[in-house]
Amino acid sequence: MYRRQVRRRRVALALLVAASLALLSTYFGESAGGFLHTLQRGALVVLGPLEEGANRAFKPASDLIGWVDDTFEAKGRNQRLEREVAELRGRLAAAETATSENTELRALAGIAGASDFMQGRERVTARVIGRSPSVWYSTVTIDKGSSAGLAVDQPVLGGGGLAGRVSTVTRGTAQITLITDHTSAVSAQVVPTGVGGVVRAAVGDPDDLLLDFIEKGRRVRKGQTVVTSGTRSEALESLFPRGVPIGKVVEATIEEQETYQRVHVEPFAGLRDLDFVQVLVPAGSGGRGARADREGES
Amino acid sequence: MIFAPQVIVRLAAIVLVAVIVQLGFFSHLEIAGTVPDVVPVFVVCLALLAGSLPGAAIGFATGLLVDSALIQTLGASSLALLGAGYLAGRYRELFEIPSVLVPLGLCGSLTAFAVGGFALIQFTLEVDAAVSALVLRDILVKSAVNVVVAAPVWFAVRRALRPALIEDRPLRRRDRTLAPLRA
Repeated sequence: MYRRQVRRRRVALALLVAASLALLSTYFGESAGGFLHTLQRGALVVLGPLEEGANRAFKPASDLIGWVDDTFEAKGRNQRLEREVAELRGRLAAAETATSENTELRALAGIAGASDFMQGRERVTARVIGRSPSVWYSTVTIDKGSSAGLAVDQPVLGGGGLAGRVSTVTRGTAQITLITDHTSAVSAQVVPTGVGGVVRAAVGDPDDLLLDFIEKGRRVRKGQTVVTSGTRSEALESLFPRGVPIGKVVEATIEEQETYQRVHVEPFAGLRDLDFVQVLVPAGSGGRGARADREGES
Repeated sequence: MIFAPQVIVRLAAIVLVAVIVQLGFFSHLEIAGTVPDVVPVFVVCLALLAGSLPGAAIGFATGLLVDSALIQTLGASSLALLGAGYLAGRYRELFEIPSVLVPLGLCGSLTAFAVGGFALIQFTLEVDAAVSALVLRDILVKSAVNVVVAAPVWFAVRRALRPALIEDRPLRRRDRTLAPLRA
């Protein structure tokens, strides 16, 4: 009797483990439009409103805990921000001079239009209603979906810089894969030197991005700004428009640059405590969801 | 535990509430640079009351729900939480739980097991980016936070499932029988 019980328990356990492994391998093998992916989007449709409700209900409590945490950090942050303001005043003056020169030269060369990344786009503001607790997935769920004009691969801004891209869309919610996710790779360049590279994440440390594959022989210095390069080749076009600020170089040793061709970048967007994000959608598509529906759910 | 239909409904409700509270509340907090993950606490507490096989099944189902809600690789959380649920249930079958400190300790250690197991699965499956040593800090902090969270969750889960708990029933009946004698 006891033996039979033990055997039955072992068989049931083996079946559960086998089911997990089968799910893992099937999920990897199928495309984004496959059965399991569709099932997940269905779950997101059902759980999205529940997440949103819980998020709103617990907002006072999470704000209170956030406030306590912020108060402890405020003093150190204040000193750091004062130093940054002093540094940025100097850089602002230089940037304004460069902008004015740029405008004059553009007029002389007959180049029309500005290089603003917002050209032809509009912002859709959304609230973050859920996020992954695991360091292995840097994703957040927002309360806007295809009905607000969102579609897969649209760029997302948050707190002063690039936050990520839309990776899954349902009618009322969307999932954003942040630039700190291990699957993310953003073609970028350092300004003003123009040194190019790819911004990638370091799993486990959301404050540390790596500007990888930088060109050999070109030097990157601490404090320089990194923006999206917005590659426009026919074969491989970047998902992100040119000139979206990503972060600031915080560590750039000669050894690491020469050996690994990389430097460390701190993201501008506060990706650990995002409450709201802005999705860049094509101008005029906000509020209309037909096209986004097709793209997001294909 | 007596698995009547209403008890299974309660178990499902507890799992759903755990996932919703995690996604809607705990995922928005940050403690010592880490986002708390209380889902393993619920799985371990339920498994301690239900046993090894129901514990494994609860872990599997909870993982499936978490992976679906977060659009993560299906099966990864299931496998990690299944292990944690089975071990917690097996502990219950082999040893007594003399004090509330035992569930707290088990919640902490099995959280480390589940989060570490999940990390191992991810690491072997699909990560081609650099991995920071802070992943270890993440495991430690999550486990420490869950030791604290475990006490209220343990009492709440016991209370919610009290009608189905076998060991609570004879106690109550005996108390009632002896009450006139004591008086």
